[in-house]
Amino acid sequence: MPRLHPVADEENLNRWERAALRPPELWNFEAMPLPPMARPRWLRRLPHVLIGYGALTLAILGSDELVNQFRVHGQYGIPLGVATAAVVGYAMRRPLAAWWMSLGIAALTAFAVGGQLPSGQPWPWTVPGVIANAAVLFLLALRVRTRIAVKALVVTVGVGFVFDLFGLAMPPYNSSSATAALVYAVVVLVGTSLHGRREARDRLAEQESLTAEERSRRTLLEERNRIARELHDVVAHHMSVISIQAQVAPHLVRNPSDELKENLEGIRENALEALTELRRVLGVLRSENPEGAPHAPQPTLDRLDSLVENVRSAGLSITTDTSGEPHPLSPGVELSAYRIIQEALSNAIRHAPGAEVRVEIAYKPSVLGVRVINTAPAKPAPPSPGAGHGLLGMRERAAMLGGGLAAGRTPDGGYEVTAHLPLQASKDDA
Amino acid sequence: MTIRVVIADDQAMVRQGFTVLLNAEPGIEVIGQAVDGREAVSKVAELDPDVVLMDIRMPELGGIEATRRITRAPGATVKVLVLTTFDLDEYVYEALRAGASGFLLKDASASQLAEAVRVVAAGDALLSPNITKRLITEFSRTAGAPRTPLKERVGDLTERETEVLNLIAQGLSNAEIASRLVVAEQTVKTHVSRILVKLGLRDRTQAAVFAYETGLIRPTGY
Repeated sequence: MPRLHPVADEENLNRWERAALRPPELWNFEAMPLPPMARPRWLRRLPHVLIGYGALTLAILGSDELVNQFRVHGQYGIPLGVATAAVVGYAMRRPLAAWWMSLGIAALTAFAVGGQLPSGQPWPWTVPGVIANAAVLFLLALRVRTRIAVKALVVTVGVGFVFDLFGLAMPPYNSSSATAALVYAVVVLVGTSLHGRREARDRLAEQESLTAEERSRRTLLEERNRIARELHDVVAHHMSVISIQAQVAPHLVRNPSDELKENLEGIRENALEALTELRRVLGVLRSENPEGAPHAPQPTLDRLDSLVENVRSAGLSITTDTSGEPHPLSPGVELSAYRIIQEALSNAIRHAPGAEVRVEIAYKPSVLGVRVINTAPAKPAPPSPGAGHGLLGMRERAAMLGGGLAAGRTPDGGYEVTAHLPLQASKDDA
Repeated sequence: MTIRVVIADDQAMVRQGFTVLLNAEPGIEVIGQAVDGREAVSKVAELDPDVVLMDIRMPELGGIEATRRITRAPGATVKVLVLTTFDLDEYVYEALRAGASGFLLKDASASQLAEAVRVVAAGDALLSPNITKRLITEFSRTAGAPRTPLKERVGDLTERETEVLNLIAQGLSNAEIASRLVVAEQTVKTHVSRILVKLGLRDRTQAAVFAYETGLIRPTGY
């Protein structure tokens, strides 16, 4: 790719050659708009309005001074005064371009008034000129790196002193170069420090959003790990039952044939092999989990009553409603449905004390519908940390089965969690 | 004499399966089934079996708590054989602590199952000494420092008895201990029952746990 070559070449150059290749930093006329204030929101454009207003005032006062104090003909004085101020406005968008213009206009002004300088008036920087240039330098320092701001400062101050050299040929005058240099230095200092603070804040915010992202990713992985653990656990139990049944079966018939015995022996061996692998996987999954092995079997919807009892003892009123014809579900669906209801109910206990809760389970031919809905809390809920993790786990469980989960506030201030769990994985998943 | 067995497991397939397998064995008879820990406790009180096959994970009352209640009941002689799907789970240690005499994987073969029931009922050997030893060592390593009241009780043992306890903890059966010490097996049996009485323990598994827990035996490399 030929397009890449210049870049590759540049990497081989030394520092000075590279610096020479780069466009001069002060020649960067890209737009770097002055950002709005972060807060309060309704005042976000305040800096822009204030600068615009200041520039307008400066245009009037500057033109007036050039015409009335420095006796510049209105034909030149008014455009110069207006241009001096207008550049401040432009600096809100392209600070470096505005700065060059501002320098040029200052030089033009210095030439324009230098010929017939009334005694006692400052030169080469007029007062409006100092204000305008200081404003431009300030806006520039806010937007560019410190090094560029300092370069611009040095050039600006340098221009003032160069004019003082011309001034040697003039009648004695009141030089404003030193005072202006001081003013410029102060505004650049303030501008760059504000710029630095803003950058640090931005970086911090970026860091924080990264950390939050990292945290939610970790939570997701933990949830997946938990789901995997539970499912492997369920499967391992089924496997051990298969191994038992395969052993029992020959006892159930009179004089089992050798083929039957061999077949059942094969089933048992396969189940045992699968169990060995499952134990290995579970060992890995458990090692990352300090909570230890459970003493109760993985729950199914049959155990819903004890959940309901928990909620009731927490002081919430709860009703359950089962519609459709209950039928056996696959362990994955059963476990997920239970866990989703469990999580939704524990959220209700946490966030909606004293509310009324309703659990609905709908058995449909191809889908199990689960809905947990609670009314607004009877009293304000105490703040609780760790909110949101449960929702993530619920979503994962529904998604794993190819289903979906929706959760959100209800119009009356309560909360609703709805999940639909397909009873059979869609064919493209297989 | 027939060994009378109660099976406690929440899965009907497991209960029925083990019942069929054990009833097919000579000298073993399944006299009752329980679907959870609570029922297991009441079935044991009602039927007074020799051995209980106890699943760990059961609703209502877990197998470990049920084991504790059954073995701590006054005058209880029943032996608990714990069933697990996963070996070396931490709850196997808990089960031994709770008073279980041994443990068995649910996918064990019919002959292993029958053998385990016989060994536990007879009480003259440790069930699968290697695994039990590994478990107990692991268990005592994580259990921390030996408890002093336990240690003091070791002082009640005679030198011979301490020696026998040591061999029990190494997984030797009564017959093996007898040949090691060049005495009659009956003598070993007497020693073992004296040890159990003096230490207030219910069987040799518990004696092995005790030996490791008190530091009487230092786990060496297995």
